[in-house]
Amino acid sequence: MNTIITPLINHIKAWNMVWFGLIFWGSVLNAFAGELGLLTNNPDLSYLFFLLGLILGLTAKFRGTWLWIPAK
Amino acid sequence: MDPSQVDIYSFANEKEIARSFSKRFQWEMVLIGLGQATVFLSLWPLVILNIIPLWIAAPISCLCALFAYLPSHEAQHGNYSRGNADKRWIDSLVSHITLIPLMFPHHIMRATHMKHHAYTNDPHKDVDYDTASSNSLLEVFLRSNESTAKYDKYLEVFKDDKNFVKSFEKGGLVGLAYRSTLMTLVIFFPLEALFLWWLPSKVGVMYLSTFFSWYPHYQMETGRYKDTRFWHHLLPRYVNHSMQLHFVHHLHPGIGHFDEPKAIEALKPFLIEKGVPGADQIPDRVSYNPLIKF
Repeated sequence: MNTIITPLINHIKAWNMVWFGLIFWGSVLNAFAGELGLLTNNPDLSYLFFLLGLILGLTAKFRGTWLWIPAK
Repeated sequence: MDPSQVDIYSFANEKEIARSFSKRFQWEMVLIGLGQATVFLSLWPLVILNIIPLWIAAPISCLCALFAYLPSHEAQHGNYSRGNADKRWIDSLVSHITLIPLMFPHHIMRATHMKHHAYTNDPHKDVDYDTASSNSLLEVFLRSNESTAKYDKYLEVFKDDKNFVKSFEKGGLVGLAYRSTLMTLVIFFPLEALFLWWLPSKVGVMYLSTFFSWYPHYQMETGRYKDTRFWHHLLPRYVNHSMQLHFVHHLHPGIGHFDEPKAIEALKPFLIEKGVPGADQIPDRVSYNPLIKF
């Protein structure tokens, strides 16, 4: 069991912000875009919003914190 | 000082008075903890099924988050079971459930909170020192964004404390479950996940950091009677969960939250004698709203 859980936890600890950016912020940005009608004629724009989420996450990982928090 | 006075204000006497307020079962806290979590969880089907709009549910969810911590805090100190092993499940149950809106794992909160009590205001060992040492409310808000991740560095500080490490490992799994649940929910219900859980949890943590950490410990020293202060606020006492009275909790954590005002009235002479910061300004009678100072 530990051979699965320990590497999983280590991976999550290291890449937590990237996954969170992609999945959480990507989904949220995509939902906002949908609410604003941006996806009505151009559903492929969804990729852009998930990419934005991923970029947010990657930036946070390498910066050490999210963009809206001053760097340490 | 007159020798008879030394005897009156002895620690034994202080402890005896405090103990008389440390017996009652805090049923109000159980009700608040389980109640707010029930409301919080109910909001999800209500919003998803379009029974209530998200813009109404979101502020309710934030309110739930504001009420989420204290019932767990009582549990962290074992104030429901009060040393009775058969009742420890109440501590555990209430704490796990009430912390859901904040996405805090009970084991991590309990372990870190005990360290906070043991090393209050110690720059290296107090797990909440980052908040207490903030220079402004804005700084408190920004620092509180880290949530429980800020505690990770204390694994190294307390690596020799096996119970601490074990609690951290257990809590880590609960934290992982919270994270996975949020990530799953956001795929199917993105705006609900944002406004019903993520944002309220942030609001809750900022509230906690402000009133539970910053105000009571800001610019305080280390030491039993010096690490927490009595402070004033423009808002009524119930708005900040009576955290003006937080110092008595640091002196006697066994006193139930709702019995603290009476305990403070009884202990006031001791607190003044021991030099608790601000103790001379404690009103003789601590009513619901006596602490306003313009």
